[in-house]
Amino acid sequence: MEFSPVLYIAIPLFAAFLIPLLGKVSKTLVKLTPGIVFLYLSYGSILLFPKAMEKPIVQVVAGFKPPFGISLYYGATAAFLITMVTIVGFVIWLYSYKFIIREPIEKYYMLFMMLITGSTGILLTGDMFNMFVFLEITSIAAYSLTAFLRDKDGAEAAFKYLLIGSFSSTFYLLSVMIIYSYTGTLNFADIAGKIDLIPPMAKGFVLVLVLVGMGIEAEMFPLNGWAPDAYSQAPSPVGAVFGGIVVKAGLYAMIRIVFLFFKTPEVMQFLIFMGILTLLIAEMAAMRQHQIKRMLAFSSIGQMGLVIIALGIGTMGSTSAALFQMFNHALIKSLLFFAAGYLVFHSGSKQIEDLEGLGYDKPVTSFFFAVGALAIIGLPPFSGFWSKLLILVSVAKAGDIAILLLILTGSVIEAIYYLRAVVKLYTRKEVPDNVRRTPISGLVAMGILAAIILYVGLYPGVIEKWLAPAANNLLNAADYIKAGLF
Amino acid sequence: MISVPVILSVMFLGGVLAWLANRFVPKGASWTAAIIAAFAGYLVFALPSCGGEYTLALGSITLVWKSTNYSALFAMLVAVLGFLGILYSMDFMAGKKNLGYYYMNFLFALGAMLGIVYSQDLVSLFFFWEVMTWSSFMLVIYSGEEKSHKAGIKYFAYSAIGAYLILSAIVILYAQSNSFLLSENVKMFSGMSLGTQIMVISFLALGFGVKSAMMPLHVWAPEAYKESPSGFTAVFSGALSKMGIFGLGLVVFKFAANTEFFVYVRETLAWLGGLTAMLATFYAVIQSDAKKLLAYSSIGQLGYIIVGLALGTPLGIMAALFLTIMHGAFKAMLFMSAGAVYMRTGTTSLDDVSGLITKMPLTFLTALFGIISVAGIPPLGGFISKWMLYQALLETNHYFLIIVIFIASTAAFLYLYRFIFSLFLGQREKEFEHVKEVPWSMLVPMMLLTLFVLVAGVFPGLVLDPIGKAMGYLGNFKASWEPQVVFSAWGEKINMQVIAGTIGTIFILGALFIGFKNRKATRVVSTKDIHTAGEIPTENENLTYAVNFNQPFERAIAPILKWSVDKLFNLLGENLESTFEYLRYVYTGNGQTYAMYVILMVVILILFSGSIFGIHL
Amino acid sequence: MDSSTWLKILGYIITPITAFVVGVTYGGIVRVITARVQNRFGPPITQNFWDIIKLYSKKTAVHHGLMQHWGPVFAITASVTSLFFIPVLKDSPLWLNNSFNGDIIFLLYMMVFGSLGMALGAGQTGNPNSAIGVARGLALMVGYEVPFVLALVAIMIQFKTTSIAELMAVQDGFSNWLIFQSPFAFIAAILAFLGMMHYAPFDVTFAPAEIASGPASEFGGKYLALMQTSGSIFTFAKLVLFTDIFLGGAGDLVTLIVKTFLLYMIPVLTGIVNPRYRTEQAITFFWKWPTVFGIIAILIVVL
Repeated sequence: MEFSPVLYIAIPLFAAFLIPLLGKVSKTLVKLTPGIVFLYLSYGSILLFPKAMEKPIVQVVAGFKPPFGISLYYGATAAFLITMVTIVGFVIWLYSYKFIIREPIEKYYMLFMMLITGSTGILLTGDMFNMFVFLEITSIAAYSLTAFLRDKDGAEAAFKYLLIGSFSSTFYLLSVMIIYSYTGTLNFADIAGKIDLIPPMAKGFVLVLVLVGMGIEAEMFPLNGWAPDAYSQAPSPVGAVFGGIVVKAGLYAMIRIVFLFFKTPEVMQFLIFMGILTLLIAEMAAMRQHQIKRMLAFSSIGQMGLVIIALGIGTMGSTSAALFQMFNHALIKSLLFFAAGYLVFHSGSKQIEDLEGLGYDKPVTSFFFAVGALAIIGLPPFSGFWSKLLILVSVAKAGDIAILLLILTGSVIEAIYYLRAVVKLYTRKEVPDNVRRTPISGLVAMGILAAIILYVGLYPGVIEKWLAPAANNLLNAADYIKAGLF
Repeated sequence: MISVPVILSVMFLGGVLAWLANRFVPKGASWTAAIIAAFAGYLVFALPSCGGEYTLALGSITLVWKSTNYSALFAMLVAVLGFLGILYSMDFMAGKKNLGYYYMNFLFALGAMLGIVYSQDLVSLFFFWEVMTWSSFMLVIYSGEEKSHKAGIKYFAYSAIGAYLILSAIVILYAQSNSFLLSENVKMFSGMSLGTQIMVISFLALGFGVKSAMMPLHVWAPEAYKESPSGFTAVFSGALSKMGIFGLGLVVFKFAANTEFFVYVRETLAWLGGLTAMLATFYAVIQSDAKKLLAYSSIGQLGYIIVGLALGTPLGIMAALFLTIMHGAFKAMLFMSAGAVYMRTGTTSLDDVSGLITKMPLTFLTALFGIISVAGIPPLGGFISKWMLYQALLETNHYFLIIVIFIASTAAFLYLYRFIFSLFLGQREKEFEHVKEVPWSMLVPMMLLTLFVLVAGVFPGLVLDPIGKAMGYLGNFKASWEPQVVFSAWGEKINMQVIAGTIGTIFILGALFIGFKNRKATRVVSTKDIHTAGEIPTENENLTYAVNFNQPFERAIAPILKWSVDKLFNLLGENLESTFEYLRYVYTGNGQTYAMYVILMVVILILFSGSIFGIHL
Repeated sequence: MDSSTWLKILGYIITPITAFVVGVTYGGIVRVITARVQNRFGPPITQNFWDIIKLYSKKTAVHHGLMQHWGPVFAITASVTSLFFIPVLKDSPLWLNNSFNGDIIFLLYMMVFGSLGMALGAGQTGNPNSAIGVARGLALMVGYEVPFVLALVAIMIQFKTTSIAELMAVQDGFSNWLIFQSPFAFIAAILAFLGMMHYAPFDVTFAPAEIASGPASEFGGKYLALMQTSGSIFTFAKLVLFTDIFLGGAGDLVTLIVKTFLLYMIPVLTGIVNPRYRTEQAITFFWKWPTVFGIIAILIVVL
């Protein structure tokens, strides 16, 4: 059977429904299923990735040709991001394998698969309403996972997430309605061609609604209030899912819509401005956090701000750099959440203060945390270095030195708080004997991530060569329209 | 086949190897590291300078390395000090924990320094710059104590600011020239706009200034030097801080020299360097910890080097580069002797230790030669660099700067004497009676360096040869010297042979006289047996005058000491952090507030969509 | 060996001896003058000779270690080397020694060599008074070096040379002496000279009544003898240096002795009628008026 992009959605969805059933049979099967799904999806990526880099693969679902039917658009950008999602998803599963020991595990894996379905759906779909559906799937799975531990804090966080998330869905749905009422179509490519049918005022409303609605998902300031709580109260691998997958999908959706319909200099300026605000305020807030996972959450927001800035610059170079940064951030932040998860588990406290001495007691986990911290600060020889460098190069090329300096200010703050956490780990202190060890599956998951981070850091060319087509696909609306309507 | 990539691979893979060795063989890490450092050192010396270019393509970015005469000079400094530092560490660190970690980062730092000096493109330079920063940071926090962590974070924060300024300059250059190659950028620099030129030069100068601890960017240095293990501190101060000088040399002579405002760059740097030299010396005088004292001394000495570079005359550059090498040697000696004292007594506090001369005579000798060199007293290596520096200052008409420098170098006697007096002279506390001389593996590096400052002082030409070549790389600078004679631009010359001969002869005659005149009758007595108005101090009384040794001078300069950039920066940092603390309450943790933000955002965007998006609703 | 070599060797011998004799005699004269001012008779002028000879002939009983051994050796090395590098008489091969052109910067550093060496020797004795004296002395040095260097810099940039011989060459004839050509430099330098000679009010370093002669307090016998020898030679060397720079040098010994003696009387006479400054007072003194004069001297040259 030839691998088709629809399987990226269908297989996780199928697995999500299968898992509760398997749960009746064997827990081990439940645990293994997502792994198999990811392996299969990776296999698909290997097959499809090179093709998509050359020419977008557009697939029609349910037999209607675009613009009438729902079409899946597996272009270079989507291919790049989906491959990233597959890699991150796989390691998250590996990590969860021993980390999620709290029942009901089949629910966890089911929701996890739903999340993957939704996210890949958002990345793949070529249809505006369809995207709403996937957004909802993602969101609902995410709310539930936030509250997975069923404690008070988790429930509160999930509720906040739900509250803000429903704004997101509502606004987005409203914008879909407005667009449909004027253009009579839901296909992205088709709308893009008919965008002038919408009167300026309605267009303005759509823009605002999309920016706010998707800005919530993309953690844009000040719409990101849900994020710190959700990240820190959910189980650690879920934090990695949010930072590595969900937010990336949300940002992709926002940028795809903006680039297709509203790519005016003013909007780009606005993106840059919001990106800077997001970056700086998140970094400042992160610096004053006392809980390690909240710190990571704010850092995530800051990184998204950086990506938004780069996307807002909107040149070929900056867009590739932004995609590179998204890739790196997905990997590195997952690594950090993984490590933080076990550190919190071992110390029994979420406070950074209480991590003292763990560096000597749990050397490997701490080592991975340190690697992640160095990488996310953007230190060589890790991958974060190159994406940050490329972003800065593109900013300088755009000629805005003020932005350059603001980004670097954010980076300095970031460096300080990450290293504070790292040195806390390595403060010499007698730690009570702790027989619990980080399980092998967790270490392997972290090891894989660290190895990729190091490998990409030493040889960025391996990712870099895919960036240009991916960025081109994102930037070039005309090509998208042409391919989307074949 | 000896090439730059090979050297770098040896260092970095060697670092990993040392770490691995520590896991399997006891003492494996130190031996591995020593062998690797020796081997890499050999490679550095065997590498032909002005050899071919080596490139490594990493995707769209290609790293380019080449050994030039300029880089060869610094590479040799790094290689020699690195090897000696590791040799010294073998016994100094023996029995400590995490040795694999220590040697790995040590070798990484050395490798990164070599990478920096061999880089011919800016990305590679910055890449290794950052590797150097974090690996040295790892060594600063090595002890795992709270204090070392504070020092480490401070070091890293300032380094990060410096590094990012360098990075800004690099990307600004790239935006203009479309190339990361150093040579390309240098070529195109004079064609860039004035604004760009000013920005690039000031960013680069500030960035490199942080590493070379130029005031007011020096505040990280005292703590970081104090907290890092002494074997590494020698390299830290001797070689790593010289990377800043390496960069400043490039900034001044490769970039600024092609601009119209060259003279302002030089004057600014010269004065910053001069004030650094003076103020750092003043701060060194009031320190009560040996390593902090040496740290401030380092800052001051780097100030001299910056002055020399900034003067831009052949003699000035020669003085700067000569001092770069000499400072590498003598500051390493001093840090090593301070480390030796620390190893045997467990402290570097000048108030606590005293009278170790008879217990650690060879360490004392190293310290003695070290301070004579730092003080610039003939015939050791420090003197000739000071002489060249003064001559260069005079020929360029820096009348007042020369005074500043002179005050600095005179005040240096105060802290130098305090250093050697407090540690080695005076009456010894009872608790230090058991102290022994340090093992040979630590004495050997110290002795080799001692020999070097002596030889370099008497035969400055030996060191001036590679320096002369390095100057050829920086520009068309011609200075003349002979193996033992250095000439100034005014036609003065200084002949070290005559000077060393005279001093040596008279000293030997005097020593013979003192030594042989009624030798038998004179006996050595304890330092407790002294003339104190007829009273002899008892065993438990220690009369050594060590606490607040330089109080008279401290009182005299009190108005200057009142101002502290360190405090200012700390205050600034604290205020910023408390601002962040307020800002973070944007995230109230209340879902309703967040919902309000969303609504507000929508309202604002709709209301102001005209001015924000150009679409009027 | 030809005659010039013999002359040189003779010079090496005769210069320090002359310096020693003159220096010690000056010391004796100072004691007499001081006594007379204080309404005493004072010792004979030759008293200092007898003192030193006595010290040389005595057996030395104790010392505290190697550095105490070497301290006086450092001191004598510094003073004799300095002397060898100063042109004692103008254009005289016998008195030229190693000076060639006589480099001022080298001398500035060479002159400190002795103090530092002495300080090391004093440090090892373990006597707190010695260390206190050293701390004071070094601090004082930072004080007086400022005006001194300002003055020298003014002169060096005026004539674009750091060579004493060349400075002597430009002072041809009475009216060309630098004391008249650059009076402000001379004032600054001579005020610094007060500190350099360690007479009151700048005698905190040795202050006999306060810290029992400070650095010298543990030295006796051969050590003290060597130190006093060195001190005498050093005094002479400094006087010759000042004469060379400001008073046009000297063509023959008599002129040299007259000039140096007159110069010497300045700190001596100031010292007799003054009480003692505290260290920080002394430092701030040097950093006020003498420094201002030095700056004026430089400004005059520059403008």
